[in-house]
Amino acid sequence: MTVRKTIPVVIVFVVAVVVMMDYFLVLPPVSEAGKSWTSGAVTNIQNWGIILSAFALGFGAVNLFYFHSRHISRRTPGQWMYSLWLLIVIVIFTVIGVSMGATSDGYSWLYNASFFALSATVYSSLGFYMTSGLYRALRFKNLESGIFVVVGLVVLARNAPALTVYFPALGVWGSFISDVLTTSAQRGIMIGGALGAISLGIRTMTGRETGFLGKLTEEEKGGGAVA
Amino acid sequence: MSGQDKSIWDTLENIPREVLYGILIVVFVFPMVYPLGLPVPISENVRKWYRTIDELPSGSVVLIDFGYSGGGEPELGPMAVAVYHHLFKKGGIKVICMSTSIEGPQLWDKAMAEIRPEQRYGAQYGVDYINIGYIAGTETAMAAVGKDLRATTSTEYKGNSLDQYSIMDGIVDATSFDLLICYTTGGDQSEGWVRQWFTVYETPYLCSVLAMMVPTMLPYQNAGQIVSLTSGAQAGEMESLVKMPARGIKSADVITLTHILCLIYVVVGNVAQIGKKSSGGGR
Amino acid sequence: MAILVTGRIFALAMLILIWIFILWNMEEAKKQLPSFRKLTGLDALPEMVGRAAEMNRPVHFTTGLGSLTTTVAPQLVAGLAVLAHVAELCVNYGVKIIYSVYQPQVMPIATELIKEAYVTAGKPEEFHAEESVRFLSDQQFAYASAVQGIAERERPAANIMIGPFYAESMLFAETFNRIGSIQLAGTARGYQIPFFAIICDYLLIGEEIYAAGAYLSKDAMQAGTIRGQDYGKAVALILIILGVLMTAVGSSFIVDLLGM
Repeated sequence: MTVRKTIPVVIVFVVAVVVMMDYFLVLPPVSEAGKSWTSGAVTNIQNWGIILSAFALGFGAVNLFYFHSRHISRRTPGQWMYSLWLLIVIVIFTVIGVSMGATSDGYSWLYNASFFALSATVYSSLGFYMTSGLYRALRFKNLESGIFVVVGLVVLARNAPALTVYFPALGVWGSFISDVLTTSAQRGIMIGGALGAISLGIRTMTGRETGFLGKLTEEEKGGGAVA
Repeated sequence: MSGQDKSIWDTLENIPREVLYGILIVVFVFPMVYPLGLPVPISENVRKWYRTIDELPSGSVVLIDFGYSGGGEPELGPMAVAVYHHLFKKGGIKVICMSTSIEGPQLWDKAMAEIRPEQRYGAQYGVDYINIGYIAGTETAMAAVGKDLRATTSTEYKGNSLDQYSIMDGIVDATSFDLLICYTTGGDQSEGWVRQWFTVYETPYLCSVLAMMVPTMLPYQNAGQIVSLTSGAQAGEMESLVKMPARGIKSADVITLTHILCLIYVVVGNVAQIGKKSSGGGR
Repeated sequence: MAILVTGRIFALAMLILIWIFILWNMEEAKKQLPSFRKLTGLDALPEMVGRAAEMNRPVHFTTGLGSLTTTVAPQLVAGLAVLAHVAELCVNYGVKIIYSVYQPQVMPIATELIKEAYVTAGKPEEFHAEESVRFLSDQQFAYASAVQGIAERERPAANIMIGPFYAESMLFAETFNRIGSIQLAGTARGYQIPFFAIICDYLLIGEEIYAAGAYLSKDAMQAGTIRGQDYGKAVALILIILGVLMTAVGSSFIVDLLGM
């Protein structure tokens, strides 16, 4: 174990244990409000987490500047002019946000006229992709795909509001598909996902998972595991 | 395959994307320009949502998370506006808004511009409703706000101290709230509130998500962790109950027609495939 | 005064039990590597990269959205494990790999993984970080648009998507399908699995992506972890079955136990 690996792992371990202790245990001394000493510690940890998350947003902007500045300086063909435009837009948003305030009319106009409109447009294009995907992919080829088609048709019909007025049975079948079939499958996936998260947690706490530490030397990695 | 001998089945089985999209655009635009007034049945979940808010006693405090991004605004915005109308119409309910999405404050402003609470309902900012702004960290933010709101943020979204607003009197942590509402395009928020608020404090939780997220969120409703789960596509139903028809009702016709069009596309594709096989052009 | 919080005792016991399963199996795996059932999507990776080599087109890889400090970090880690293997295949077949990055913090890890593949194959001079590892944007739809741009301009023969995906999943799948890429996708985010299922050629569902790293690398730690998780799933299955049976006969024992 090296210092570069040990210190972050110890921090992770201590913080994780304190947060878990606060959730599962009530350890004395306990205040009059019934909160144990871990409660205050966890509040501080969570607030530090919020500060670090907010800092990460700024870090993202710094990274954007770094990477796109390199494209501009190297005049990367087919890329550098887009990088230049990106940086200009970042500067405009920053100047207006800082000088007029992020909740000002000017900033709101800029946001609504550009970023919001573009986001909504790109997201809306999903509708087209889904339509062509459905047309091409929902075909009877074998038993499984046949079930896919039937279930897909029922759910599509049920999600058209007016159709359930004229065909009430769609509501019943659709509810069975969503409340029984889909829910049970989703529960299985969620249980698996949760176990994956728990295993990553214990590996991180015990220093076996070092991905979050970035680039490590072989010595720092601890030699890895043996196959 | 020779291009000269293309049968009708080949054509129907491989309709170009441009044709599919072209028809879809027409079906999108037509009911927006000429509303058809197709029936919009109100689902049980929307009714449950409505009842939950309607049964809140006067003086209740509601926390709303504007956790969606600009991409989801066309779907979730109308639902958020309709629910705000309901809360303001009911009166006597304190509504505190926060955002776990960085675009939340701008989208809240957009919603307020549509609702006009002061002009319509005589509601006062800082007395009847407030926005405490974006709090970074998603689940960390939810946990922190639930544990100690004042330690997490001391200002509202424009930077003014919370102490100067009477609505924040007595608001300390999750136990100060009677109801939690979340609108989100991200599963991290919708599931995060279950983990950080319902599981810890058992705060009743209403959640509205994108239509495609509903199947994945259903287990939480079926387990009783969410009181009512709706999708933004059901905004028209909420507007009908609240008697404030707006973008949601207008979209209901579009939703019906586009779903029917997708049904037709799937049927045409499968009929073409079957027809091609039976006419011996299986390859 | 109670030390354990009522209503969370069973959850604590289960958490400790699962930890024990995982840690114990990680040690046992060092003695004998556990076996895995066949994962068709992962077995198809050499075929996918081979196709790219024949067509003289690159392979595109993405681990979707999410960072190493959020709840979707396990999925991102799983994606990076597959990236390491795919990079190795690409180097051996002489195929260019393009990894689209969403979170800047992932860049150094991904760069190192891909570089290692080149160095191990004795071709360090062929590694070009800026070509192989491209930070696009940390905004969802800007990232999605940029990936679609890569698809249209560079026309990869294979597209591999393993990790946490959000609404952009359908955009990616459909765009790469339109340009004729063969696709393998895997995510544990239930919202997006259906979209991958109907479009992609190969699919990994839910925790199969966690097994992917162990399946490909034969790493003892990863394999042991997967086995430990399977023990946890077995316990969950037993509780579900017992709960259903007991509830059916009118007993609330399991429900009360879970609520302890």
